[in-house]
Amino acid sequence: MTSHDVRDMLDLPQEGAARPIKKQKVAAPRPVLKGLAREVQNLSGDNPIAIVPEGSIFKKRRFASRKPAAKWELRPFRNSARSDDSLILRHWRRLDEKRKLPPQPAGENRDSATQTMEGVVGGEEQMEDSGFAKFNVQVELFDYSPEEYESRLRSEDWTKDETDYLMKMVSQFDLRWPIIWDRYEYEPPIPEQAPSEADGNARAIIVAPKTRSMEDLKARYYAVTATMMVIRKPPIKMNSAEFSLHEVMLNFNPEQEKARKIFAENSFLRTKEEAREEESLLLELKRINARSERFSDERRELYARLDAPSSSSHTNNFTSSVGLGQLLQQLMSMDKSKKQRKSIMGGEGISPAGPSGPTQQNPDHRRESSARESISGPSAPNNKKGPPNPAERRQLSKEEEEMYGVSRHERIGTSGPAFRQEKIFKPLLAKSMNQQKIINNVLTELEIPPRLIMPTADVGESYDGLLTSINNLLDCRKVADKLTAEINIARAQKAERERLARESENAGEGGDVGAGAETVVGTGGKGNSGAPGSVNGTTTTTTTGPGPTNSEPRNEEKAGSPTASVKGVAHKRSASVMSAVSDKSAKRQKK
Amino acid sequence: MAPLNQGKRCKGIQIFRPFVYGTTAKLFDPTTNPKPEGTPDDHTHSWTVFVKGVDDTDITYWCRKVQFKLHESIPNPLRMIENTTPGTPFQVHETGWGEFEITIKLYYVPESYEKPQTFYHHLRLHPYGVTEAEKEAMRISPQIISWVYEEQLFNEPFESFYELLTSPVDRSKGTTGGKGKGTRLMKGGMVSSTGERTALVPLASRPGQPFSRETEKAEIKRLREAQGKVEEMVKLAQKDLQDKEKELAALKAS
Repeated sequence: MTSHDVRDMLDLPQEGAARPIKKQKVAAPRPVLKGLAREVQNLSGDNPIAIVPEGSIFKKRRFASRKPAAKWELRPFRNSARSDDSLILRHWRRLDEKRKLPPQPAGENRDSATQTMEGVVGGEEQMEDSGFAKFNVQVELFDYSPEEYESRLRSEDWTKDETDYLMKMVSQFDLRWPIIWDRYEYEPPIPEQAPSEADGNARAIIVAPKTRSMEDLKARYYAVTATMMVIRKPPIKMNSAEFSLHEVMLNFNPEQEKARKIFAENSFLRTKEEAREEESLLLELKRINARSERFSDERRELYARLDAPSSSSHTNNFTSSVGLGQLLQQLMSMDKSKKQRKSIMGGEGISPAGPSGPTQQNPDHRRESSARESISGPSAPNNKKGPPNPAERRQLSKEEEEMYGVSRHERIGTSGPAFRQEKIFKPLLAKSMNQQKIINNVLTELEIPPRLIMPTADVGESYDGLLTSINNLLDCRKVADKLTAEINIARAQKAERERLARESENAGEGGDVGAGAETVVGTGGKGNSGAPGSVNGTTTTTTTGPGPTNSEPRNEEKAGSPTASVKGVAHKRSASVMSAVSDKSAKRQKK
Repeated sequence: MAPLNQGKRCKGIQIFRPFVYGTTAKLFDPTTNPKPEGTPDDHTHSWTVFVKGVDDTDITYWCRKVQFKLHESIPNPLRMIENTTPGTPFQVHETGWGEFEITIKLYYVPESYEKPQTFYHHLRLHPYGVTEAEKEAMRISPQIISWVYEEQLFNEPFESFYELLTSPVDRSKGTTGGKGKGTRLMKGGMVSSTGERTALVPLASRPGQPFSRETEKAEIKRLREAQGKVEEMVKLAQKDLQDKEKELAALKAS
């Protein structure tokens, strides 16, 4: 229970604004308290009593961590970076407690202030090297032989002697270019060394001191070093650090450097007024840009309004309450986005769209909303569907399509899930049971199992191919069967004709052979029995008679459906033949 | 019945996903495959019927659950398998003595808005095959397998489902929809391509994974050869046809 609760119960007025400040004060010491102190603190509630003296902890700790004082020792050391070996300095090091041997080098703590001059120290064979010796780094310079200089490094502007001098300076001052430039005092070799140049005139020209800028020096040095790098190690073998260094040196542009320095110097020497003016100009530019952007935005909006197709055709979308609700939601969301954009623009400080200007903003707002309405009109049905419309659908690359098994078809029979095996067998299953049986027989003959092992799209295609060729085969066979039947019929007819011929001959000799059985032919024979010469005539008519009737059905058969059963045709034909014969005989009888 | 806000179907688009179903049966044997406790005396085999991805790939992102309808004599013949971890098969283990037709019904993820589809598979307990050699090989092998490769076609899927099928796994999302547990997907690196939503089939067959590009190529080759044979037969038949026509013509002429 806290004082707050008590106050609440007793209906005492709450303490005013002072409280939060107090609370904040309390918050700091609280986490420190432990045990009994914390209990006491809790008892006190919102108004803590300062019982616990602060800072007592620090005193305690000091006694707790008492240790024997560390031992230090004055120890000599040498600096390998120095050229004078005889110099030995001493410094204070902490005595290593683990190893009692005094001359061993210890940790990293050092006190360079205690360095003192000292002569030779006896008895200590191994002297510690200074920890700073490693910072004495020498610049790695490329040496070039005179031949290499002649072949690769010649320059119009630089003599070999001066290049040598530059290299010397560079190594001496460790590539610190300002110092090198400062100390650069090249004097061409005295003409006495070159006896050919004894002429005073020539000497004057040579002696004339060339003032080299820092950029000149750098350019020369980089050119030389880059070339030497390439000579020592072809660029292909360089590691990335070497190569990038080489690139940097190769691309050194003294003109640009000069311009940069001049620019930096100028901006350094700029007065306060000039700086202010520049700033204001930049601001002005920004403002102009923003204004033009806003202007173009407005213009685009105007164009959109002008171009928008008439929304009258879409009004029926909004006649129902659902449509209207959706329209409202859409407008709200668009409004929100618009507002957000507005606030961003306002933040740039172009137009202070504060709370003071609702009247001023009103026309602007109305115009926007009207524009929105016309814009949203045609787009409404699109957005209604929720998920992206086909135009927005992600376009997949060829590989992706293959990976995700996507394919495009002109016509897909039914939408929804299906199985490939079924789909492949669909054309087969569409056939009659009889046909299926025949095709399956062929397949087993070919040792193709009735189920495909892997019904993939490609397999399906080749299966389709196989089926069509099987169908071809079956068609061929069917026609062949028909032909055999025809041949058989033709043969039978021939035999029949021959027999007829024979019988008619017999009938000519005497009717006693074909008396009972061959009634039709017999009667014909009897009718013509009087004239043996005309027997030949009648036989010819009978042969020519069926001729055209025979050929007619054959053509019909070729053109017509192959499904008609062969036997049926044969029957028909034989019937027609018989009828033709009987017609003839009937005519003869009438005669 | 169609739920609202399901979008439109993608016209002219077909997406397929390969999968494998089938049965694996094993004869009870005192040493290698002992009968579990409580198995009826007349049961001779233990068997498993399953539906899984080719090469054990994940199919749970399109197949939510699978119903196996077993023979009526088996207690509780309708087995609904769902919530399997991606990369593991939907499967039912049973024991029995007879072969029968199992009805398998695939239920798709809710995003697809598709109705479940049914197909059938014959449980094989005994060696089968066209030739005696095939049967013999199966008799020797420790188990009778009857596995079938199948491709699930989604004709004109709904747009949301299209998105789902054609985008890579969002590993950051973890458990959403039927996509399974994120942790398993992370481990999926071990099981080759688990967690990848491809329709690709492995290039080469491995033991236990007989369906691959190789198998497909072999099948295509076999079909092509068969087609070649048929074509030859067609040629022969045509020649025969011509001969016969000539014969007929000759007969007619005489």
